[in-house]
Amino acid sequence: MSKGVKAVMAGALALSLAACGTNNNSATGGNDNKGAANGSKATNQEKITITFQNIYPDPTDPKHGAVKKIVEQYEAEHSNIKIELDSLNTDQQKLKLKTQAASKEVPDITVVNPSAQMKPFVEAGLFAPLNDMVEQNGLKATFQEGILDWYSFDNNLYALPDGNNIGVVYYNKELFEQGGVKVPATFEEMIEVVKTLKSKGITPIAIGEKDTWTGSFLFMNVLLRTNGGPGFLQDVQDGKKTFEDQAFVDAVDSFQDLVQAGAFQEGATSFDYNAGENLFKTGKSAMYYMGSWATGGIETSSVNGKVGVFKFPTVKGKGNPNEFMLAPGSGFAISANSKHLQETKDFLNYFMLNFPKVMFEAKGAIGIAQKVEGDFKAQGYSEMAMEILDLFKEVQGGDLSFDNTMNPGTSQAHLTSIQDLFGQKRDSKEIGKDHQTAYTSNKE
Amino acid sequence: MSQMIGVAAPSAKPIVRTGALRSRIFKAAVFVILSVLFVTQLYPLLWLLIYSLKNNEEILSGSFFSLPASPQWNNFTDAIASGNYFKYLANSLLVTTVTMLGVLLLSALASFAISRFKWRYGGAVMVLFLVGMMIPMQATLLPLMIIFKNIDILNTHLSIILPYIAFQTPIAVFILSGFMRSIPHEIEESAIVDGAGVFRIFRSIILPVSVPPMMTVCILTFINIWNEYIMASTFISSEGLKTLPFGVYSFVSQYSVNYGAIGAFLVLGALPVVIIYFLLADKITKGMVAGAVKG
Amino acid sequence: MNVLRVSKWTIAAFVLPCLLLYFCLVFVPILVSFYSGLLDWNGIGESKFVGLANFQKLLFEDAVFWPSVKRTLMFAVFSMAEIPVALFVAILLSRFVKKPNFLVSSYFLPVILSVVIIGQLWKTIYNPASMGGMLNQVLETIGLGDWTRAWLTDPNVAMYALYFVALWQYLGYHTLIQFTGIQNIPSDIYEAARIDGAEGLKADWHITLPMNIPIFKISIVLSFIGSLQAFDMIMVMTGGGPAHATDVISTHMYNMSFLSMKYGYGSAIAAFLVVLCLAATLLVNLVFNRLERKFT
Repeated sequence: MSKGVKAVMAGALALSLAACGTNNNSATGGNDNKGAANGSKATNQEKITITFQNIYPDPTDPKHGAVKKIVEQYEAEHSNIKIELDSLNTDQQKLKLKTQAASKEVPDITVVNPSAQMKPFVEAGLFAPLNDMVEQNGLKATFQEGILDWYSFDNNLYALPDGNNIGVVYYNKELFEQGGVKVPATFEEMIEVVKTLKSKGITPIAIGEKDTWTGSFLFMNVLLRTNGGPGFLQDVQDGKKTFEDQAFVDAVDSFQDLVQAGAFQEGATSFDYNAGENLFKTGKSAMYYMGSWATGGIETSSVNGKVGVFKFPTVKGKGNPNEFMLAPGSGFAISANSKHLQETKDFLNYFMLNFPKVMFEAKGAIGIAQKVEGDFKAQGYSEMAMEILDLFKEVQGGDLSFDNTMNPGTSQAHLTSIQDLFGQKRDSKEIGKDHQTAYTSNKE
Repeated sequence: MSQMIGVAAPSAKPIVRTGALRSRIFKAAVFVILSVLFVTQLYPLLWLLIYSLKNNEEILSGSFFSLPASPQWNNFTDAIASGNYFKYLANSLLVTTVTMLGVLLLSALASFAISRFKWRYGGAVMVLFLVGMMIPMQATLLPLMIIFKNIDILNTHLSIILPYIAFQTPIAVFILSGFMRSIPHEIEESAIVDGAGVFRIFRSIILPVSVPPMMTVCILTFINIWNEYIMASTFISSEGLKTLPFGVYSFVSQYSVNYGAIGAFLVLGALPVVIIYFLLADKITKGMVAGAVKG
Repeated sequence: MNVLRVSKWTIAAFVLPCLLLYFCLVFVPILVSFYSGLLDWNGIGESKFVGLANFQKLLFEDAVFWPSVKRTLMFAVFSMAEIPVALFVAILLSRFVKKPNFLVSSYFLPVILSVVIIGQLWKTIYNPASMGGMLNQVLETIGLGDWTRAWLTDPNVAMYALYFVALWQYLGYHTLIQFTGIQNIPSDIYEAARIDGAEGLKADWHITLPMNIPIFKISIVLSFIGSLQAFDMIMVMTGGGPAHATDVISTHMYNMSFLSMKYGYGSAIAAFLVVLCLAATLLVNLVFNRLERKFT
């Protein structure tokens, strides 16, 4: 494979140089074959550095290993190219990218969240369209059906995702047995389960609500049910619904029922994501609602083997459990102003082509955005991981998280508002009204 | 450290009324107060040491006193290898040292002019500095980014050293000029009579007596920039230029944090500082006593 | 009066390097921020000039803003209230301890620790008892179960819990500063006072206190700076939550500029902060100029 790729790369590289000459910097370079001859010489001369900003600094993260491995492989094959990894933690990367974006200084490759969160960057013309690049070497076909839509605007694709996850409820079978409870089939049963567990001194659900999105993610799943299906936020944006509609108020009510039943650990709003998840991973809580990306971490924790998963149940008889909270992962985007646009595209193409295989081997292939070939069982993936894989097959659509759908201003208001519910009971209609006010005042 | 015993507090200060019961109780109370403070202020260091030997689950279970079941020495090997400890430490030392020297030199020059020169705009310049004293760094990230892009120093050590110096100068000028103002004017009057120039007065008279406030400035500068991360992470991208706080955060991933390694890294990061500080503590205070001129 | 008469060039040589660097990298960005405060801008794309609309919204409509200003000022008040304590500790240290350097340095240690660790440490103290929180467990053990609180998540106490962490962390810092001040007071003054019959705390009242006024000024300015910029610690401990209950000006600014992507609005907050700083600086200078005139 590598030989073929190499040949294609050399060609593509040459093309880029030719393209530069004709002052044509992106979209059409791919099919043009003229410059191949004179371009190949340059391969040995110019040393090119591509800056790859990413959010995988932690060596225990399988993605860190994958990035490193593929980059090393690529550098070995392309002696003139150096990939400079700027690995930052997520919050800092977001801040850095926004600061860089303001001065049009976006790194060659960076990481953005899908849909609404990347929209401002796209609108400012900071990212290069990847339409041509994703067609090369059959890269597009490696992605799951429909996933790239979350990264496309006006028929142009601007980023390639590293993940595609769904929201599930992890539960600790041992603690369920201790509490004498069964997997709930409805939200009402879930509240009963919570009460029973609570009465036996078991923390029912762990959550890291200091990072406000966690509660919102769960809340949105309730809304997905009370709305009888996906698209509530879209309808609000289209002016067909408002936050004061019954579906939203019902969702707030049900969510508050869950909180008031004592579902979450004490002091949940001071637990960050990791501290919250750790309660579940150390067997201190019976359930944990999270994106399926949490699987890897749970597998390496002390509760491994005792954990099962179930779909978020129906609420008040409404909704379809096969509709999930969808979490298309962060995507790799390329700067429109990159000095080495074509080389960067070539590298990212290579990177994404190799990504699934490397992740599969690192046992991190649960919830990646590309199709993975291989026998998960034989590779040693856990039973829980297999369960998750089965759930993926049953997905019949769903919603994106609030902050991936709404503009940042409204999202922040929403996140705070949901966090507030962990501390005190509020009038649900009031919450709806607050949301509507925030929405109208942040609308362009 | 034994020579430290020699440096007792100035002789006039200790209370001499021995024998009185009241004084003894008083002394016991003082002893208790100082000891309690010693424990509360130093416990974090011990806690950090224990912390650095725990695994994630032990750390996040949040107990205050517990010891690790088995010490996780690999936290330290992780910290050194994955955290790029030595490289980051070297960078931090370089950046901090250059910044300190820069702050000291520039602010001492400016303070001297403000507090000793006879010129019309001294007061105005001082006010200008005062304005900037309390400005938060975050508010300037974006404009600085644009400036640095235009003078093409992004992703170099200069892109953090310059703002570090710039942000520290107001407080440094504030402290140094306040001190220099209190130096009696007869000093330079006699120097002028001796035919000394301005630069010599600055170098041989003012600077030597200004050691104590300069120490204070050093300490302030140090604590403000040693752990500084927001600016560094925004302006530095290359692995080879990163400073210690990057190492700390290199164990923070999107969905996981390796707390033990962070602890180990912080131990390693704090260690040289603590050692240097305790070694110099003696000199710092001595210098301060020697520089006592006020009165 | 200053006595050194020097040429313009000499003044320039002394002042300009410092002033220029400061002016370009601190002053100019702040002016830019003031200007950004007049824009409707998400920080990335197109911007629109909206005049004082951001300020109007900030001052009259933002429900989070004034409470966060209040918390910031309270923060400053608490930090300043700590200075007399620091002075007291410094006096004890210089009077009763043979080799105070070691203790002074020890007290100073929390300041150099990274906020990541400070946050972790205090969470293990403040957590609910069921989550291993040390403080609540101790309270329960000694029979003060009624006093237990959700220290970081109860909106009524969370901010005080944060103030306390800052007080703890910066006690050694202020002690060090006061201590150096005391060391700088010539011992013959105490000697003379002793002959006049003043020693011990009485001597401190008449000598140490007034002699240390310039040092107070430094301490107060520093605690002001620390309070107005308190950011990292709050972000690590509560992130401004629950529901804005622990937001201060700087966290609110960060939320607006970078999370809500209203950079123009965030800049308006920054501008307000600068004005507040300026007012504080002038006030401190005014008060101390009077004090110094009175006592020296």
